[in-house]
Amino acid sequence: GVFTHLEKLEAQAHEAGRRQEERQQQEEKLASLKERVEELRMQRDELRAKVDLQHKKQSGKEGIVSDAAEPSAGAVLEWKIRSIKGMLQIFYLTGISGKLTKRGVCFSISTAYEGTYLGSYYLDLLTKPAVRIHRHSLPIFIPLEQISRRYLQTDIRRFLSVLSDHLNAYAGRKYQADQLQEHFSDQLEGSLQRNSLCNLLVFNYKMPSEGKTFPFSARLIYRDLCCSLPTEVIVSCTVKAPESLEETAAAHSELFRHTALHKAFCTFSSAEKKVD
Amino acid sequence: MDIGMCQVYEDEIKSLEEEIKLLAEQYKDIQQESTFYSEEEILMAIKAFQSEFQGESKGHESQSDLKAQLESLEADLCFLMKFTCIQFTSHSKRTIERNGNRTVQKHRVSGKCHSLSFQLEFQLLEIKDKEKVSTVITHLSIIMESGEDLNVSKFVSRIEEHGDLLTFFRSLSSYAEWCEHRRSTFQHFKVVSIKLLSI
Repeated sequence: GVFTHLEKLEAQAHEAGRRQEERQQQEEKLASLKERVEELRMQRDELRAKVDLQHKKQSGKEGIVSDAAEPSAGAVLEWKIRSIKGMLQIFYLTGISGKLTKRGVCFSISTAYEGTYLGSYYLDLLTKPAVRIHRHSLPIFIPLEQISRRYLQTDIRRFLSVLSDHLNAYAGRKYQADQLQEHFSDQLEGSLQRNSLCNLLVFNYKMPSEGKTFPFSARLIYRDLCCSLPTEVIVSCTVKAPESLEETAAAHSELFRHTALHKAFCTFSSAEKKVD
Repeated sequence: MDIGMCQVYEDEIKSLEEEIKLLAEQYKDIQQESTFYSEEEILMAIKAFQSEFQGESKGHESQSDLKAQLESLEADLCFLMKFTCIQFTSHSKRTIERNGNRTVQKHRVSGKCHSLSFQLEFQLLEIKDKEKVSTVITHLSIIMESGEDLNVSKFVSRIEEHGDLLTFFRSLSSYAEWCEHRRSTFQHFKVVSIKLLSI
């Protein structure tokens, strides 16, 4: 009767009030978002104008920029600091870099394969009373003990150079194996097996457009730890092979001896393309 | 419809924030690269710094940090040049591309290793991928003082082809050291022979 009717009206009014509150909140949110957008647009336009002005100055006068405002001493120093950091970055690219420490020097040896930089290792040296290694990040399979016994006391430059040879060769071997796995996985059967020093690689592979058989098995040994090319390559046929395949295996053996692994596989693909 | 508008605004806010970040970095880069202060100006700035904040206590720690930072970096650079015998006489760089996580900078470096002078130009590509930063050299161009030597020019061509800057410096170091050793040995014998002749 009347009572339920009243209840219904109350509920409706309540609902209407709730909906209106929701709508108001939405409108407020929208308004604040719109304000934020306009704020950011202005900021962005200001920055764009500043950068455009810089570009105009650059194409007009090379080198020295005469600003209307005198730069603060702090700004000059900050400029110089960034400039020196830039030069220290170039040292990183040369392969040997470092920082003086309270008790000696912390050297950084960087590694690269052709133009790609592959990471660096540090060597924290103490210099008094004699030169010795405080800490380092060299992997344990690099013969650090042997190399330091031979060179550390007499010729630090030579010491670092020999370490650099070992580390760069290791990084190069690892890079080739990684590249092979990353870019030619469809030509590999199973996983590429390697030891931590990456001087022993074993894998089965096939030529690109062949069916499902992986007729070749390769074993690469790198006896020269300062070299990223193998000293011994054995490519054999996994299946009972016709003479043509045996010849191919021998040719591949030669190829792997003289060409970086991932580049060798690259030549397989391009050769196939030529045949097609 | 309102919810749709909200999303549109939120998306625009995100893209504007990214754009602002990129522009701010660009501005900083160009500011750095197009400015040059001579050693005098830098010494003056250091003096101005010291007098400005002499006797002031806390709150200006960051300022004295700047001077200390500069001295420490200069000491590091000086040490490296002496230790490696590689002296860089000039270095300029220009950011030619910066978007998202990709930065390309064009570098020009000149210097000498022992007595062998070189000039380099290359592009440095940096790609940020999560926490890893990968660095690649491209467009490498090298001019060497003894560039007419056939062996040197063959070596330089191979290096340029592969962008192999690291090998360039490592080989340059050993070659320069060898040249130096040869020169001083020759000098030594020259002195010895002159002494002998004058007897």
